[in-house]
Amino acid sequence: MKTKLISFFLMISLSTVALATDKYTENMQKYIAQVYTAQTFEQLQSVTNALDRIAQAEPTRWEPLYYSAFGNLMTAVRQQEGSKKDQYLDLALASIEKAKKLVPGESEVIALEGFVHMIRVTVDPATRGQQFSGLAMQTFGKAVQLNPDNPRALSLMAQMQMGTARFFNAPVTEACGTAKLALEKFYSFTNDNLLAPRWGKEMTEELLTSCK
Amino acid sequence: MKLLLALLLLPVGVWAQTTVAGRVTDMQGQAIPGANVVLKGTYDGASTTAEGAYSFLTTEAGAHTLVVSFVGYQRYEQPVTLEGGILAVDVRLAEELNELDAVVISAGSFTAGEENRRTILKPLDIAMTAGATADIAGALNTLPGTQKVGETGRLFVRGGDGNEARTFIDGMVVLDAYAPAAPNTPSRQRFSPFMFKGTSFSTGGYSAEYGQALSSALVLNSRDQAAQNQTDIGLMSVGVDVGHAQVWDRASVVGKIQYTNIRPYYGLIDQEVDWKLPPVSLEGSGAYRQKVGRDGLLKVYGNYSTSDFSLYEADILDPTQKQLLELDNRFAYGNAAYQQSLTDTWSLRGGFSYSLNENNVKVDGAPASEHEQGYHIKAVTEHSLNESLEIRLGAEHINRNYLASQLEVATQHVQSLSFDEPLTAVFAEGEWYATTRWVTRAGVRTEYNALTARWSVDPRWSVAFKPSNKGQFSFAYGTFRQSPANSLLRVDRQLTPERAEHFILNYQVLTDRKTFRVEAFYKKYRDLVKYENGNPMTLSNRGNGYAQGIELFWRDNQTIRNADYWVSYSLLDTKRDYLDFPQAAVPYFASRHNFSVVYKHFIPKLKSQLGATYSFTSGRPYFNPNLTKGEFNSQRTPSFQDLSANIAYLPKNWLIIYVSCTNLLGRDNIFNYEYSTTPNASGEYVGRAVKQPAPRFAFIGVFITISKNKSVNQLPNL
Repeated sequence: MKTKLISFFLMISLSTVALATDKYTENMQKYIAQVYTAQTFEQLQSVTNALDRIAQAEPTRWEPLYYSAFGNLMTAVRQQEGSKKDQYLDLALASIEKAKKLVPGESEVIALEGFVHMIRVTVDPATRGQQFSGLAMQTFGKAVQLNPDNPRALSLMAQMQMGTARFFNAPVTEACGTAKLALEKFYSFTNDNLLAPRWGKEMTEELLTSCK
Repeated sequence: MKLLLALLLLPVGVWAQTTVAGRVTDMQGQAIPGANVVLKGTYDGASTTAEGAYSFLTTEAGAHTLVVSFVGYQRYEQPVTLEGGILAVDVRLAEELNELDAVVISAGSFTAGEENRRTILKPLDIAMTAGATADIAGALNTLPGTQKVGETGRLFVRGGDGNEARTFIDGMVVLDAYAPAAPNTPSRQRFSPFMFKGTSFSTGGYSAEYGQALSSALVLNSRDQAAQNQTDIGLMSVGVDVGHAQVWDRASVVGKIQYTNIRPYYGLIDQEVDWKLPPVSLEGSGAYRQKVGRDGLLKVYGNYSTSDFSLYEADILDPTQKQLLELDNRFAYGNAAYQQSLTDTWSLRGGFSYSLNENNVKVDGAPASEHEQGYHIKAVTEHSLNESLEIRLGAEHINRNYLASQLEVATQHVQSLSFDEPLTAVFAEGEWYATTRWVTRAGVRTEYNALTARWSVDPRWSVAFKPSNKGQFSFAYGTFRQSPANSLLRVDRQLTPERAEHFILNYQVLTDRKTFRVEAFYKKYRDLVKYENGNPMTLSNRGNGYAQGIELFWRDNQTIRNADYWVSYSLLDTKRDYLDFPQAAVPYFASRHNFSVVYKHFIPKLKSQLGATYSFTSGRPYFNPNLTKGEFNSQRTPSFQDLSANIAYLPKNWLIIYVSCTNLLGRDNIFNYEYSTTPNASGEYVGRAVKQPAPRFAFIGVFITISKNKSVNQLPNL
């Protein structure tokens, strides 16, 4: 009986552990789905806040930081006023910096950082274009170097190359090549991490429509 | 046993479930929607609604902390005890002291940088200002508070002489920031604008950290670690330059070699100056950056250049009589600066700089030389006592050695004049944000000058008030001192520093892409160096003077699509009694009205940026010794007017073609008049106009960037 009780308690505590991870994964999956589909500013803000709460409660996990940054980035994209855009980009970058400390070699985090730089350009293209597009490109390069199979890093790089080529009326061959490669990587992309980023395929497909 | 099991299996929530609810507002009671409310360490929380309300259910029990955060506000924490039922917590968030909305001291200062959204001029703006020919001083001359003195190329600020504006790199003084130039031709700043990530140009009322500057402090902050490996090549009508940046994980090295030879250009375009050999210079510079520890950064910079030229100067009385002037200059500047935060609230920075400037001149073969070298060492510590109070303490030592010597051809005797000036200073300054709308900065600077064995104390004080979200008022006061110019101090080492007292009132409205500012100032000069009985070898500190004026600035890069323009106007009223002046008079470099418009337009279709600058400077005073009536310096030259334009064309993303031209209209500008020192045979002093060396200066350059990443070019550097 005694041993039974002990094993029972052991079981309970084990299942609490399992439950705790589950609670994390479960919540994260719910909010990740929301952050991908949020339409309005309010929806985005609410899900970003929720992710931020998890990030605060789980200081050793990079995923909530990643998605909270993603949420702020999407919020920035939707802002009209430049200073507001910058404010949300600053928030996104702060989370990214924290995530980088947890997983310094994570290509996904670096790719998202490049995305932030890319959106910075849109605040004031005339004066920021040169500085931040260079920085974005360089960051995407780093992300691809860390993981040549990361479709998002490739896709974002293709976006940047496309923009540059269009600006200079140059052939888009390079950009299309990268986009094509990105799409291939989207199909072959596997990750054991249930919470790994999955976004970006539609964006790449859309980019490729201008390649035909 | 069964009961125990049942208890264990019951969901925890049954016996402890608390609803936390309330409203989040700002200090004025306005709802804050979208704020994040969280029970610290748990997933439980909610976002506030449009009305600022929130409510969530939690199964946690006991003592916890409720955290509320929202962008632009200070994070709020409150201990709560969860005992089931409903817990009501209303929260008021205080605004964060954020750089965008908070009040700042703007009296007297123009700040420029890359990232900062409050910047008035970015490095690119400096480089792309037409007529400035990528010279820092040239671009700053389009800002209010400056008076254009075309024949020198230097910064003259608010009735101050050219040497009253000092340059600092990473906080370290530069003894002479201008390259040598032939008499009455404009000189250029030695440092190219693209070395710097930020520029702070102060026309008065600056911090106690900066001493030995009577009128203006130009504070240049060099770039941090380079971003990527790249090689830049510039092919210009006046020379070539090659630069390379090599980047490692925590360090970078940037090197540049520049060869400037204006001889072919002067061969094509006729010059007013009778050159024997126009200027040629070779300059090498290097920057090393090393990150240290968590956030320490070491910056080392070095610059070495040599230049020479020779020309014939015609005698005013008899233009057929020509004097050969040969100049050979050697300049070295090195600086090392280090900064690191010690704890969350303490930080330390310090540095060392060395300047060497040597001119070897021959006048009709008779040699003379001028040699100045100095070092500057400084340490500053900054401490945040709390969110709203920051103090800064620092100490520095500046040591200068100066030697001028001349060979008297007749006696073969070498005459020399020299001085050594060790100067030690300590300063303390505090900045206090009473609220987000009020800020005060008070400081004091104490100097000990070992040459004159004198102590001095200079107070500095400024305050800013922001009554609304956009406009703000600032006021600055301070006393400033600077040792007399080398040419005076070498004659009499006991001369005390010249002094100025500044009063500045400023109003500024800053929106995202528009800036308006108006500034009024009054400046009182004391202890200016004066010739006793007109004798330049007997000097005293009995001179004095004043300057007052109003300045306007408007910048807008919103109204016209793809365009950016700024307009500056300065009104100056100044008189001084110094040097050989018989009475208080307007000095030769002071013009009453200065007006400039800078316009830049980017045309995406042409992949080009076009720029134009118009400058107007009202007539400058001069003294005609032939006039027996009328005051000293009461004559005025015609006004100076210039329309310059430039174009930067980007045919490929790694290639820039840049063309610029000054004085498109070819106006024959007269800067000033000089008169013969003795009358001619008919008893008349003969005058000669000081003019531009050529009506126009045209420049063409091709800039190529080689890097792995092809989307980078030199535009940020141009």
